[in-house]
Amino acid sequence: MSILELRQVSKLFDGIKAVDGVSLSFERGKITGLIGPNGAGKTTLFHLITGFLRPDAGAIYYKGKRIDGWPSWRIASEGIGRLFQDVRVFKQLTVLENVLVAFQNQPDDKPWIAFLSLRWLRNLERENIEKAKYWIQFVGLEGMENVCAEELSYGQQKLLAIARLLAADAETLLLDEPTAGVNIKMIRVILDMIEKLVKEEKKTIVIIEHNMQVIRDVADWVYFMNEGKIISCGPPEEILENKEIRRIYMGIQNFTPIVGR
Amino acid sequence: MSYILHLLILLSIYSVLSLSLNLLVGYTGLFSLAHAAFYGIGAYITTLLMVKASWGFFPALVVAILGAILLSLIVAIPSLRLRGDYFVLATLGFQTIIFYILYNWVGLTNGPYGIPGIPRPKFLGFEINSIFAYSVFSIFLSGICLLLLWRICMSPFGRTLKAIRDDEIAASALGKNIYRFKALAFALSGAFASVSGALFASYMRYIDPTSFTLMETVFILSAVLIGGAGNIKGPIIGTMFVILLPEVLRFLQIPDTIAPNVRQILYGLLILILMRLRPQGLGGEYKLQ
Repeated sequence: MSILELRQVSKLFDGIKAVDGVSLSFERGKITGLIGPNGAGKTTLFHLITGFLRPDAGAIYYKGKRIDGWPSWRIASEGIGRLFQDVRVFKQLTVLENVLVAFQNQPDDKPWIAFLSLRWLRNLERENIEKAKYWIQFVGLEGMENVCAEELSYGQQKLLAIARLLAADAETLLLDEPTAGVNIKMIRVILDMIEKLVKEEKKTIVIIEHNMQVIRDVADWVYFMNEGKIISCGPPEEILENKEIRRIYMGIQNFTPIVGR
Repeated sequence: MSYILHLLILLSIYSVLSLSLNLLVGYTGLFSLAHAAFYGIGAYITTLLMVKASWGFFPALVVAILGAILLSLIVAIPSLRLRGDYFVLATLGFQTIIFYILYNWVGLTNGPYGIPGIPRPKFLGFEINSIFAYSVFSIFLSGICLLLLWRICMSPFGRTLKAIRDDEIAASALGKNIYRFKALAFALSGAFASVSGALFASYMRYIDPTSFTLMETVFILSAVLIGGAGNIKGPIIGTMFVILLPEVLRFLQIPDTIAPNVRQILYGLLILILMRLRPQGLGGEYKLQ
């Protein structure tokens, strides 16, 4: 069953069609890969889904609700989480604070409630700290709770961004190159995590990836995008063997950029 | 002795001013140039209600706070959608408008002549007349404000403000309505500044518009930046620094004819040196970029 659906979505930048009449649907509880060369419009598509850009034409539905035109925070509260290509951790907050910000159950994020400093809110905060520590440990950053995020390496920042995303507890996760800039060992960890999220937590995942091995390993279904259009779709084995797609990807179809960028 | 009490009162008033501005500059990453305007709004609303309508201090204070919140939302709602630099300009515009209203609406504010004879507040039935009693009163009221500001800063609300400061896009991708948070921070900041204004007016017993100019905003801003934005202790240290430094310079044996100028130069020089050596301020953790 489809949870997220795009119908004839287009976006123009100065007359150039970055996204050109794209229609796709993402299945609930599946991992869908979105691949294609640089500049194909993949990240723009994520911007459109998460409300950071508005489509010039077309409609986007999430769980049957039309969400295009909604502000990004509302789309996020509706249950679409996003991992940014350029990680975007809160640089001057600690690792722990970065994760704590993400929790949705914080009534004292309203100042008039914060004035009161009620016991149950303090308990809630304590619970959230425990949960945050769990997610920090989950991504392997334990012991670094009080380190300022800007002091982390790029790979660690990526893990932190993942922990933050998981703490936000969104049902649908859009991951923009989750393994780029991460070492081989961590790639394996991230992939296991992604599979676990789908199996155990019933998450729906959309993943943009240049690492075809990753797509082959985890994706249930793949869309191939080029010049703003969806060129083809299918199971990963089929798409990755397609001659035309290999030609567009120009011989980079077998590579595994480990510390790319 | 009364000189020290006078300094204590100023310190308590300015601590609230700098810490409430810090809520914007240090926590939310919003650079506001309108802080003295809210300070003035608090002072004038309280004064007018006390002098012209013979209200008590506390009811007048409540109206002043509500007035500051209302005006801050009127500024915030359209201008927060603008990019950072334009928001600074919008607050500058507001600061200027408020100053000229206070200066030129002679019928209401008595314009440049100011309003004399502001009554001292009554608290639990007795009038706060002596400077000692006023210093206790001022520290008490400011203390409440500082406590509330401290709670705000330490709460998830304050944490989300810092997250918005660091990365608006990431914060809104976590479901945070950044406009709402910024508007609330702006309103709270204005509300606390208005309390300072009320305290200032009833302490000085005379106000005129020159106390609420852009220079005053810059003065408060310098307290925040010298002390260090983004935490609690920084702005307090900064306030002590900017209030006490001129007083210390007073004790230097400088000939009277040039003393004020030399003090200003020394003051500016010290701030320059400090910003070169410690860009995050004396006690700050957040570096302005």
